[in-house]
Amino acid sequence: MQVKGLMFDPYNNAYIVILRDDDQSEMLPIWVGKSEASSISLAIENVAPPRPMTHDFMKSYLDAFNAKVISVVITDLNEHTYFAKVHLTYADSEYTVDSRPSDAIALALRTEAPIFASESVIRKQSSEELDQWLENLKPEDFGKLDS
Amino acid sequence: MEEQTTEPLIQLTVNRVVEDSNTDTRIVVLTRTDGASEHFMIWVGASEGEAIRRALDTSTTPRPMSHDLIKSFGEHLGIKMERAVLTDVKSSTYYAIVYLENKGVVRTIDSRPSDAIALALRCQAPIYVTQDVWRRRSGQNLDAWLSKLETKNIGAQEV
Repeated sequence: MQVKGLMFDPYNNAYIVILRDDDQSEMLPIWVGKSEASSISLAIENVAPPRPMTHDFMKSYLDAFNAKVISVVITDLNEHTYFAKVHLTYADSEYTVDSRPSDAIALALRTEAPIFASESVIRKQSSEELDQWLENLKPEDFGKLDS
Repeated sequence: MEEQTTEPLIQLTVNRVVEDSNTDTRIVVLTRTDGASEHFMIWVGASEGEAIRRALDTSTTPRPMSHDLIKSFGEHLGIKMERAVLTDVKSSTYYAIVYLENKGVVRTIDSRPSDAIALALRCQAPIYVTQDVWRRRSGQNLDAWLSKLETKNIGAQEV
């Protein structure tokens, strides 16, 4: 999946990260908090802040010992909470670490690791309702993120 | 970013996190472990302050927050956080270094104090400040102001 954009959701006072698959047939919205959205936005826009933000620090932490993020996977959706896994390699071993999708995505964008979503997650989202909701949003709502 | 000083470091402990509702920032109040009464205060953003507050409360969130994830990386990979050191202050911005250890190899990473402190509390790693940064700290005479701010915030913090 690719991060297609970030939008503000005025109804929930939260931000939505829009993930799309490469052939644009599937879409996965993930609701995240303001600071998580801000971190993802900085990575999308390739902005280097004057001081390392938390996910830059997280990357430095892994870089310090040459641990590599291989991929991140959005694995489950349960009562509006998404679950993700970060897959790492370190010293010839592989590790899988439980994460929120927002952290996983913010880290993947900084480490150029691919983002995947399990098919069950995509099936689970009530897409019809969501598509309608998204259609009602104006194009100006996209890409807006005032941190 | 290496420490320039050979003077002994001063160990600090996080006393509390105070909400500054005027600016939507948080003030991290640290005290010396040697019992000296002066405070060390660092202004941080709201989300950074809450990350520190959650570690102080040892409250658990349903899902791992960002610093919980970093701690979890360390547990999986065998990386130990040795200590956090507040090493510099420039234009009112504090700089920190985090010391990490794995199989006898120590690495240091540049960090904001908020990340260094949030991770140190979760990993039970000690927090230090250099003598130089301690001397140049701000807010030495702000105790009265701080207590006023806390009195004002009592209602707000209950929410």
